Amino acid sequence: MELSNLSQEEKQLLASLGNAIVAIDEEKAKKIAEDIVNEGIDPNIAIKYSIADAAIKVGEKFDSGEYFLPHLVMAGDLMDEVGAILGRNIPSERMEAKKVIVIGTVQGDLHSVGKNLVATMFKSNGFDVRDMGVDVPSISFIEKAKELNADMIALSSLLTTTMPYQKEVIDDLLSMGLRDRFKVMVGGGPVTRQYAEHIGADGYAKDAVEALREVKKLLR
Amino acid sequence: MISLVEIAERTQSGEKVEEKSWDMELFQTISGLVKKYGIAFPGEHCFINTDDDLVERAFEAGIECLENMGIYCITTRRRVRLTRDEILRAIDEAPTEIVMGEGKDRRVWKQRKVEGREKLNVCPGHHTPYSEDIAPLVIDNFARIPRADFIEGFNVTTVDGREIMGAPMEVYASRRQVGWMREGVRKAGRPGLAIVYYPINTRAEDLIGVMDPDHGLRRTDGILLTLLPDLKMEQDMLCAAIVYEEYGSFKLSGSFAIAGGFCGGIEGAIVEGIAKPIACMIAYRDYIHYTGVEHVHMLNARQILIPGITWARSVVNQALNKFTHTICMRWVIPTSGPGTELNLLEGAMHSIEAPINGMNLYAPRQCRTTTNHGQTPLEAEWMIEVSDAVIEQGLDRKGASELLAKLAQRIQGEQPQEGYSITECYDLAHHKPKPDYERIYSNVKNQLTEMGLNLPQ
Repeated sequence: MELSNLSQEEKQLLASLGNAIVAIDEEKAKKIAEDIVNEGIDPNIAIKYSIADAAIKVGEKFDSGEYFLPHLVMAGDLMDEVGAILGRNIPSERMEAKKVIVIGTVQGDLHSVGKNLVATMFKSNGFDVRDMGVDVPSISFIEKAKELNADMIALSSLLTTTMPYQKEVIDDLLSMGLRDRFKVMVGGGPVTRQYAEHIGADGYAKDAVEALREVKKLLR
Repeated sequence: MISLVEIAERTQSGEKVEEKSWDMELFQTISGLVKKYGIAFPGEHCFINTDDDLVERAFEAGIECLENMGIYCITTRRRVRLTRDEILRAIDEAPTEIVMGEGKDRRVWKQRKVEGREKLNVCPGHHTPYSEDIAPLVIDNFARIPRADFIEGFNVTTVDGREIMGAPMEVYASRRQVGWMREGVRKAGRPGLAIVYYPINTRAEDLIGVMDPDHGLRRTDGILLTLLPDLKMEQDMLCAAIVYEEYGSFKLSGSFAIAGGFCGGIEGAIVEGIAKPIACMIAYRDYIHYTGVEHVHMLNARQILIPGITWARSVVNQALNKFTHTICMRWVIPTSGPGTELNLLEGAMHSIEAPINGMNLYAPRQCRTTTNHGQTPLEAEWMIEVSDAVIEQGLDRKGASELLAKLAQRIQGEQPQEGYSITECYDLAHHKPKPDYERIYSNVKNQLTEMGLNLPQ
């Protein structure tokens, strides 16, 4: 089923779901998601259009200064909940798998603001994000990525003295024969595109908005 | 004041809280306080607050925030609770001035007053990465600025040509950093100038390893021990605070709030911006703070100016100066890089608001700084020049607000300029900007003069 096949009322329902998510109206969004399931609308279409559109609008509101980091967190959580309701009736073989991103601040570094922003931006745009937190040993990133069969490892560093741990993750992936299995993206205050290229990262972004653009490009 | 050992105990015994729950609780708490105390941006015409009643309400909100939330220890994931009495006693017992440095280079850093007429204390440089080949010369240049009262350290990517990775190399690099600082200030003819250790990393061994009265950090020097955003502390910093409290070095902190983060918008950032320096004082015994409000989009150089940001900073600093002993500094972090017109114009904005709101001046450096691209001595000299002119002209809050409005109109909507490395736009051998940068400086000076600031020609 495609969007063009839906009736005007059904399209309206999908738009209302998107609007409720953007407004972070939990009760309303969950109720509409239930209605969509009960109406027999293909949940994959709702996930593809309502949630994806909402994610873009939430990101735009953050970019314009209307929304703040906690709004991104709440919107991301709500998208998860709505996605779970919509996904209940989708047979597993028809479930479109989300791309999985393992993210964290590298070993020795306790800075979390930039990493949180990027993680939340990814999550609210439909990626399955596993935030490992801060001061994460290189091997832990790799083990988690293997465990989840992740698509990407995203590494943050705010200190020049912890940037080498971004390289360590890439070097370890190489030595373990896993480099081709995961895309690696790096960022953080002192990190530059030149440095990212120098250590062999697949992607680099200077902020959360650019990170989202980059990840969509890398994981399309 | 509540002892650091008591704080240490509370980091082990406080209520367990997941970090995400803390973050969201902080947002809810601050949002509620913003409403309760009626903190609202009066409009884009306002660059400096003139509402003294708002200052009082904002201060109450800050105290209530700290009383309700406490401080979050990310090491143990526990809440360090503080009573209102403990908070108010700490505020009362904090000093209003700090003596630093030795001999003829001894200085006193003081708390300033709103619209105060004394010249500002100044830290002219660093808190940005340099390559080790030019580091000693850079320090020499910054230490030659006569108004420098202390000078802060910097980060490096290599030491002795080796990559810095792991605790042993970090400790070695930390000691080398302080060694370069000592050498630099001595070469500049200011052997007693206080230096502040900028942590290479925040491990306790890195923080404590530089302590050395003969070749490293003296008792008359300082160290940067900063609370993380969202009122979060860490045990390694507390270890260092306990050790340095006995050793005698002064401590300073990055105590600003980040609007757009978990504190919410600029109004919420006012609440955290008032609570945070008080929390830093209690958790680490920091008495000198770079205070105020920044914004995530400015720290990322996505936007050159956010409406209301200078107003928010003014509320925070006026509150801290009126109701606490906090020694405030304006951290000048332009979105544009050194060697550009916009960097100097942005620096001017900060240097106009600083004396008016009772702040001193702290090292200017580009927000997205990379190795050797953070700053040059010219920006520091420029901000001293501007702040002196504001004082000599006798500008008050209203007059400064009008001047800031003109400056804002000039830069609003511009895209931040990337800038140049220090060696591209500054002649370190002769302590002067290169001709192109000198021309830009003269042009910016003319622009400020035309806007109504009486700068010496």
